[in-house]
Amino acid sequence: MATPIIMPRQGQSVESCILTEWKVNPGDEVAEGDVLAVIETDKASFDLESTASGTILELFWEADDDVPVLANVAVVGEEGEEVSEFRPADSSPAQPEAPSASAAAVASVDAQSSTPSAASVEISPHSTTSSGVSPRARKLASSRGLDAEIIIGSGPGGRVIERDVEAFLAGRPSLSASARVRALADGLEPPLRGSGLAGMALAGDMRVPGSIEGAETQPVKGIRKVIAERMMQSLQSTAQLTLHSSFELTMAQAYRKQRLADGKSKVSLNDLIAHAIIECLKVHPEMNAHFLGDRIAVFEKVHLGVAVDTPRGLLVPVIRDSSDMSIEGLSSEIKKLASSCREGTIPPDDLAGGSFTLTNLGMLGVETFTPVLNAPEIAILGVGGIVLKPKRSASDEVTYADYLPLSLTIDHQAIDGAPAARFLQSLVFHLETNPGQPFSQPNE
Amino acid sequence: MPKSQIVEPAEERKAGILPFAEIPLNQYQQDLAKEKENYGPDALVGMYEDMLLIREFESMLQSIKTQGSYEGIEYDHKGPAHLSIGQEASAVGQAFLLEVDDHILGSHRSHGEILAKGMSSIRKLDDDSLLNIMENFLDGDCYRVVEKEESSCVKDLARNFLLYGALAEIFGRSNGFNRGLGGSMHAFFPPFGILPNNAIVGGSADIAMGASLFKKVNRKSGIVISNIGDASMGCGPTWEAMNFASMRQFKELWESSMRGGLPIIFNFMNNFYGMGGQTAGETMAFDCLARVGAGVNPESMHAERVDGYNPLAVVDAIKRKKALLESGKGPVLLETITYRFSGHSPSDASSYRLKEEIDAWQAIDPLVAYAQELIDEGLLTEDAIAENKTDVTKAMTQAFRLASDLEVSPRLDSEKIGDLMFSKRKRESYAPDREPELILPAAENPRVLALAKKSRAGVVDGKPVSKNKVFQYRDAIFEAAFHRFQKDPTLVAYGEENRDWGGAFACYRGLTESLPYHRLFNSPISEAAIVGSAVGYALEGGRALVELMYCDFMGRAGDEIFNQLAKWQSMSACILEMPVVLRVSVGSKYGAQHSQDWCAMVSHIPGLQVVFPSTPYDAKGMLNTALAGSDPVIFFESQRLYDIGELFEKEVPADYYEVPFGPPAQRRTGKDITLITVGATMYRALEAADILEQKYGLTADVFDCRSINPLDYDPLIKSVRKTGKVLLSSDACERGSVMQDIASNISQLAFDDLDAPPVVVGSRNWITPCAEVENDFFPQPSWMLDAIHERIIPLSGHQLSSNPTTGELLRRQRAGI
Repeated sequence: MATPIIMPRQGQSVESCILTEWKVNPGDEVAEGDVLAVIETDKASFDLESTASGTILELFWEADDDVPVLANVAVVGEEGEEVSEFRPADSSPAQPEAPSASAAAVASVDAQSSTPSAASVEISPHSTTSSGVSPRARKLASSRGLDAEIIIGSGPGGRVIERDVEAFLAGRPSLSASARVRALADGLEPPLRGSGLAGMALAGDMRVPGSIEGAETQPVKGIRKVIAERMMQSLQSTAQLTLHSSFELTMAQAYRKQRLADGKSKVSLNDLIAHAIIECLKVHPEMNAHFLGDRIAVFEKVHLGVAVDTPRGLLVPVIRDSSDMSIEGLSSEIKKLASSCREGTIPPDDLAGGSFTLTNLGMLGVETFTPVLNAPEIAILGVGGIVLKPKRSASDEVTYADYLPLSLTIDHQAIDGAPAARFLQSLVFHLETNPGQPFSQPNE
Repeated sequence: MPKSQIVEPAEERKAGILPFAEIPLNQYQQDLAKEKENYGPDALVGMYEDMLLIREFESMLQSIKTQGSYEGIEYDHKGPAHLSIGQEASAVGQAFLLEVDDHILGSHRSHGEILAKGMSSIRKLDDDSLLNIMENFLDGDCYRVVEKEESSCVKDLARNFLLYGALAEIFGRSNGFNRGLGGSMHAFFPPFGILPNNAIVGGSADIAMGASLFKKVNRKSGIVISNIGDASMGCGPTWEAMNFASMRQFKELWESSMRGGLPIIFNFMNNFYGMGGQTAGETMAFDCLARVGAGVNPESMHAERVDGYNPLAVVDAIKRKKALLESGKGPVLLETITYRFSGHSPSDASSYRLKEEIDAWQAIDPLVAYAQELIDEGLLTEDAIAENKTDVTKAMTQAFRLASDLEVSPRLDSEKIGDLMFSKRKRESYAPDREPELILPAAENPRVLALAKKSRAGVVDGKPVSKNKVFQYRDAIFEAAFHRFQKDPTLVAYGEENRDWGGAFACYRGLTESLPYHRLFNSPISEAAIVGSAVGYALEGGRALVELMYCDFMGRAGDEIFNQLAKWQSMSACILEMPVVLRVSVGSKYGAQHSQDWCAMVSHIPGLQVVFPSTPYDAKGMLNTALAGSDPVIFFESQRLYDIGELFEKEVPADYYEVPFGPPAQRRTGKDITLITVGATMYRALEAADILEQKYGLTADVFDCRSINPLDYDPLIKSVRKTGKVLLSSDACERGSVMQDIASNISQLAFDDLDAPPVVVGSRNWITPCAEVENDFFPQPSWMLDAIHERIIPLSGHQLSSNPTTGELLRRQRAGI
C-alpha cells in the first residue's frame, strides 16, 4: 500500500522546512529509517527518514523548495500504485501536470472555453494584484519569470504596459518552464545568457537578482536570512552601549590546572566565564532580563545562550536553567550543544529562550569587539583573546600578566551604564579571585 | 416626376367642388333561394359547418385559457389567445369564393380566418393535391401525426391536419405549421393561401400590399386580402399602404399590360373596438370606417361597408370586389362589420362595454341566425346540427389531444432557433423559367457604355485618378444592381427618386433606360410602406431592392425593419425566404436629421444581416452577395464615399464577383496597434495611421468591418493578440455604437493580450451640427491620436487637441452627453 512520507514538524514554532537535498530518486528501494532527504529549518538541518519500506513512487518537491510541515513530500509503495491522491496542492513538480488534469475535468466543455477548475487554482507568492499592469504586460513578464509589479510603468496613469516590460527584459534570455517556476517562486532571475538551447535559461541558471559579474551570489535564506533579520532588528530596536574591561587570567588558569591535578574533568576558559556570568547574575539579576518595549521581564533562572560558529552560520544554543548546574554540568552541556549545532542536528527548541548570551571570538585572535545584542535580551558578553599586560603590584612593582578582554554590550533602554559597569566589575573580581566557585562579595 | 406629366397652373387653380364616389353601406339584399341557385345547397351548409368549426376552435381555446381544460383533457397554455368568437361569419363569408392562389394576411385575431381560408382551400383542392401538400409540408412532420388517426376521407383528413397544424402552432410545437416559432398571432399556411398573420396592429397592411405588388409585377393570378382591424386605420403604415396601392403611376405611367392599381382588398374587420378603445365613438375620426376610402383616390377605393354578421353579404361583396381587382381597378377598401363576444384576450373583463351591447349582438349570433335560415329553407335540420356539433367536437378533441401531448408534439430544441434565423440560400433567380424584362439591352445602356471608358483602378502610376475618370462607388452599386436585374426577373427596385432622378445619389442613373416601370419606380415618401411592401413582395416569392434615402429615415420604417423584415424567416421556421436588400444611405453636412449612422440599431435586431462597404470593390462585391442570397440585408452606404475610386484592390473587376459577408477587410498591415473602423471613418483612421507612423514610429493594422453582422472576429483577435492595443472608430454616436459591441467582445476574446483597454472613438453624443463645424462632431484623425496617447500608449511629444481623458468620459456620461 502506498504510504505518504510527511515533512515532520521540527519544533513548535516551525511552519516549514527547506528541503535541502534529496538522497533518493523515484524508483529507489528504501527501508524504514533510511534517509530520504536533508531538510533544514531556519536554525538547523536534519535528516528526513522514511517511515515506510518499499519503492519511492514519487517525490513531490524539488531541492530547495520550502515545504510546509506535515505536507506530503514523497510516496513509498509498490510500483504502479496511484499516488495522485497524496500530491499536495502547491508542490512544484505537480505544476506541469496540473493544467492537463484540470483540462480533463472540464473535457465535456469546449476546449477553448475551458477555465481552470477551482482545484487547480495556483497560489502564487506574487498574487497581489495591481490595476497598474496591463494584462499583456503581466503576461509577458510572467512568461519571462518576472514580477511586473516591480517595474515602473510608462503607460497612461503610470500603467505598466508591454514596452516597459520589454525594456526591463532587454538582454534577458528566454526561460525554460522550470526556470520560470523558480523565478516566480524564489524571486530568482536568469543570467544574460542561459546554458540551454539558444541561450535559454534553465532552472539551474537562475540566480539572485542583482548578481554581480565576477562574484558568486547566493540568495539570503535559511539561517543566514534569520541572522540578518535578527541582527538588523537588534541594532534598530535597541540602544546599544558597550563597556570594555579585562580580567587577569592567573587565578583562572590556576583553577584549571588544579582541577587536572585533582583528576577532575577539563573545563575551558569559556566554561569558566560562563559559570562566572551565571554566578554574577545571581547578585545582579537586573542584567538577566528581556526588554519588551512596555515592560521588562527579569528571569528567575539564567538561561545562558552560547554563540557557536557553524558552517551554516552563527547559532546560539541555550542552556536552559543553567543557574541550577554545576560547572561540570555546564561544561558538558555547552560541549554537547555546540557539537550538535556544528552537525546541524540541534533541535529548534534548543535554539530559543535565552536570557543572557555569551560570545567568544578570542580563539580567533580578536582582542576586543563590540557584540550585538541578542534582542530582546538586554546584555551580551563578548570575550576577546589573551593579551599580556603590565600590572602594578601592591609593592608598586610592575610585572606582566595574561589578561582576557571582556566587552559587555547592554541595552541602554533597559539598564544604565553604572549598574552594568558594576556587573562587569563583579565578573572581573570573581574571575580574578574565585573562578569556578560560588560568587562571594569582595571584602571591603 | 416624369417630364410627360405637366402640372398646369391654370388647371390647378381652377375653382370648383370636388365630388366623391359614393360609399355604399350594407346594401346586400338577402335572397337565400337565389344564393342556393348560385352556389348549391351543400356550399351554403358548408359555410355553416365552417362557422361552427371556428366557434368550437375558439371556444376550446377559451376553455383552455380560463378553465385549464377542454373535454376532460387538462392543459396549461401560457401564450396568447386573441379569440374571434362572434366574428365567424365574416371570415367564412370572405373565404368562401377565394381560390387557393388568392392570399390572405391577417392580424393577431386571425384563427378564424386561418380555418375559414383553410377549409375553403380544402374544398377547392382535389385529393391528390391535398395529399401532396400534407405529405411534403415540413417534411410531413405534421401530417404523420394526423394520418394515424381516424378519418373518413382525404378532405376529412385535411381538416384534421388543418386543426392540428394550427393548434400545434398555437401551442408552440415543432409539428405546428411554423415549427411553433410563430404561435397564435403569427400562424399561417402558404399552401392554402394563408400568408403571415401579424401581431402588430396594421402590420399586414403594407406587407399585403407588397404581396399584391408581386402578383401584379410578376403577372400572377389571384388577389390579396389584408385582414386588419378597425383600429389599424389609426396606424400610419396602413395609410401609406393604401396610398401606395393606389398610386396614379399604375394608371398613368406603367405600360399597358401593367395598367391599374394593385389587386388588394384592404379589409377592415370592424369589431368596433381596438382592444378596449371604441374606434367609431372614441378613438377614431371616421364615424364610419369606409369613409376613409374617399380620401385616398377618386374611386373612393370602391369602399363599402358590408354586414359581416351575414355570411352571404360578405360572399357577395368579395365576389364583386374580386372582379374589380381582376379588371385592374384596385385597390379596394372593405369595411366588414362584426362583433366579438369574447374579450380582446382572456384577461379582458370587458369593462369598456355594456352587457346589453354584447347581449344585443349575441341575439343576432350568425351561428344561430344563419342556421335558422338554412332550416327554414329546408337545407338543414336540428338533427343534422346536433350531428355536426358532435363531429366537430370530436375532431377538435382529437386535435387538442395530439397537440397538447409532448410525446406526440414535442417542442423544437431551442438551440435550433439559431439555425433558423437565416435561410442562407443561394438564389440566382426566383423565377428561373422566365426572361427578365428589359426595355433596352445592357450592351446599349448609356451608363454601361460610359463606364467602359472609366478607370477601374483608383490609382494609376501612383497617382489618384480624377473623379471624372475614375470608376466610382456609385458605379459599383449600379453594376451590381443591373447585373441582378438581368438575372432575376422578379427583382424590383423602388424608393424615393429611384427612377428619373437616377437615385438621389445617382447610383441608379442608367437603370431607367433599361428597366420598365414595373421593375423600377418612384415610391411615395412612405418609408414604412417601402420596407413593408418589400417584405410582402419577398414572402410572395420575389426579390426586392429598396432604399431609404437617408439612414435618418429609418425611424419611419421602424416596425417594418425591426419586426417584419427581421423576423419572418425565423417566425416561419424558414418556410419563407426574405430576399430583401434595403439600401440605406448615411449622410453628412445636412444637420441633425440627415447625418446619422444607425448601424447599431439594426445590428441589435436578430435576423438582419448588416453590411457597410467603404470601397467600390466591396460595394459591388457585397451588393452582388446580398442580391444573390435569400436573407434580408441592411446595406449601408456613405454619402461621403459615392465619388471615390478603388484605392485598395488593383481595380474593380468588370465581371461578376462576390465579397462574402463576415470577414473584415484589412486595409493596412502594421505591428504596434490595431485600428478598427466601420464605414467612411476608415479613411480618417488611415490618416491617423500615417501620422502614427511618420511622427511616432508606430505602425498599425487597419481593419474595415465592412460586414457588421455576421462578423468574423478571428482576424481582429489575431491582430490584437499581436499588437495588444486597439482603437475602434465609426461615425456613429459613441454611446451604444457597434464599435462598443466589438470592443466589448475583443476585451473578452483577447483580454490577456491587451496592453490597454479597447478604446472607442465615436461621434459626440450630440445632434450633428451644421456642415461648417461638423468636424467637431465626427471623429477626426487627431481625436484618434489623442485617445491613443491618453488611454493606450503615450506618444512622445504629442499635443492633445481634444479631451480624451477618463475624467472627461465620466463627466460626459454623468451629463448624459
